[in-house]
Amino acid sequence: MQSASSSQHKPGDLAVSVQHLGLTYTTTIDRRPTLKARLRTLGRGTKHTRIVRALDDVMLDVPYGSVLGVVGANGAGKSTLMRVISGILPPSQGRVEVYGKVSTLLALGVGFNPALSGRENVQLGGLAAGMSRKEIEAHFEEIADFAELGDAIEAPMRTYSSGMFARLGFSVAVTVRPDILIVDEALSTGDAKFKEKSLNKIKELRSDARALILVSHGLGTIRGVCNEVAWLHKGTLIQRGEPNEVVDAYEKFLKVGKSAAINEDV
Amino acid sequence: MEKLGVAPVEVYEPFRAGLPPLGRYWRSLWARRSFISEYSRSELHSRHFDTVFGQVWLIINPLLLSGVYFLLIVIIGGHSDKVRYAHLTACLFLFYFVANTLTGGSRSVVKGQKLILNTAFPRIMLPISAALVALIRFLPTVVVFFVIRTIIGLPLGWAMLWAIPVVLITAMMALGLSILISCLNVYFRDVANFLPYFSRTWLYLSPILYEVSALKPEIRKFEVFNPLFPILDSWSRTLVHARPPQMASLLQGLAWALGFLIIGIYYFLSRERDFAVRV
Repeated sequence: MQSASSSQHKPGDLAVSVQHLGLTYTTTIDRRPTLKARLRTLGRGTKHTRIVRALDDVMLDVPYGSVLGVVGANGAGKSTLMRVISGILPPSQGRVEVYGKVSTLLALGVGFNPALSGRENVQLGGLAAGMSRKEIEAHFEEIADFAELGDAIEAPMRTYSSGMFARLGFSVAVTVRPDILIVDEALSTGDAKFKEKSLNKIKELRSDARALILVSHGLGTIRGVCNEVAWLHKGTLIQRGEPNEVVDAYEKFLKVGKSAAINEDV
Repeated sequence: MEKLGVAPVEVYEPFRAGLPPLGRYWRSLWARRSFISEYSRSELHSRHFDTVFGQVWLIINPLLLSGVYFLLIVIIGGHSDKVRYAHLTACLFLFYFVANTLTGGSRSVVKGQKLILNTAFPRIMLPISAALVALIRFLPTVVVFFVIRTIIGLPLGWAMLWAIPVVLITAMMALGLSILISCLNVYFRDVANFLPYFSRTWLYLSPILYEVSALKPEIRKFEVFNPLFPILDSWSRTLVHARPPQMASLLQGLAWALGFLIIGIYYFLSRERDFAVRV
């Protein structure tokens, strides 16, 4: 169903449109929100929640047939942006329009239950994402082959190494062919061989009928693969445009920012 | 970028407080119904994965449980007969169905953290799965009870069919409680810690270790506050004594069940969009 629907998109058609997107959320200050802490401070006016401004007025268009790279320091809001695009977090301001089926396989979602085997995790993740049993069956062999896990696919995921986790996550993300594919940091773990293999896969997926959003700290990959790069910092979009231009600016910022950050911390 | 004539497949906008569009929510939930059964199946499978007896624990557990409590009432009560043992077993099994739903439900959302953070789906599937797990664990205990009942030699009767609506009402109540407590536990993690003591107290306040007829009238005045009281009374009447239940008890149980279900669903649905930043 997903692969069939992808053929109707022409390159240049809008895939994702992010308009004035803002996201604020209240989160607990306490590490674990408990009743006891609530009761102890009852009537004292102590706040248990604080407001976090994760995204602020972000504008972004992703057309079909292109690859958008997203870069930014830790905590810049990259993953949050991806979660809004895939409908996991509702925006606080603005609007996100999605013209196609998004794969919500941010690599971390696979392996949500470490007591279950890799196979069960993949199946359950797929079912939760709204795929049918048949679709999952059809893709499963390919996923297992690409991840190169061998018999370990039947073992509980608590026995997996972090590399195996990442490999399975990436395989799921790229094998299930959605219209809009989001790959979040999946390339960063895994050995050199798998890294190359996954890079090749990304290049292969860069077809006209699909839009790709690639979140990565691997700036070399971003330069090599993307048509456009967006740079986020503390929830705001600093710059977007030509990959080399933006990555150069970002790299420069990282070097300068290091000393600036040290000054800020004091 | 050509936009004319193409409608977005999904639009995400800020939501107002209150319920999400229910029709859409229901369709999305229905499309994922196989997740619920598959998830429950894997949960059950992994629960006894490492044990020697494996799935046989589904039978051993209730047997040991009824044995322990029978020992207790024999020592404290000084006497016992087979009807009392049957009553104890039947009611204990039904009670543990509800208690297991509470335990499973309370952890369901928090346990699904990774899934919630990375996939868009109706979150209510998690407590529903937890309730289903408890239901599947309950079914073998009914078989165990019927074996015990046959060995003891209690009379059979058509009135025992009333047990079916009683189970349905209990399942409805369990589902409501599971949904409610899963949401509560997101905001107050203490709930899961507090729960075993709550369950234990509820067990002693319900007509399980004793029969309703053994209670003093002054204490029976408070029975209306115990949602399980009318249910367990009907359950014991139908299954142990093979008599029809009192209609008033059934309706009272149904009212509690519907109440929990409606409050639970409302509370959960109006809160669930907040879960991704709270778990």
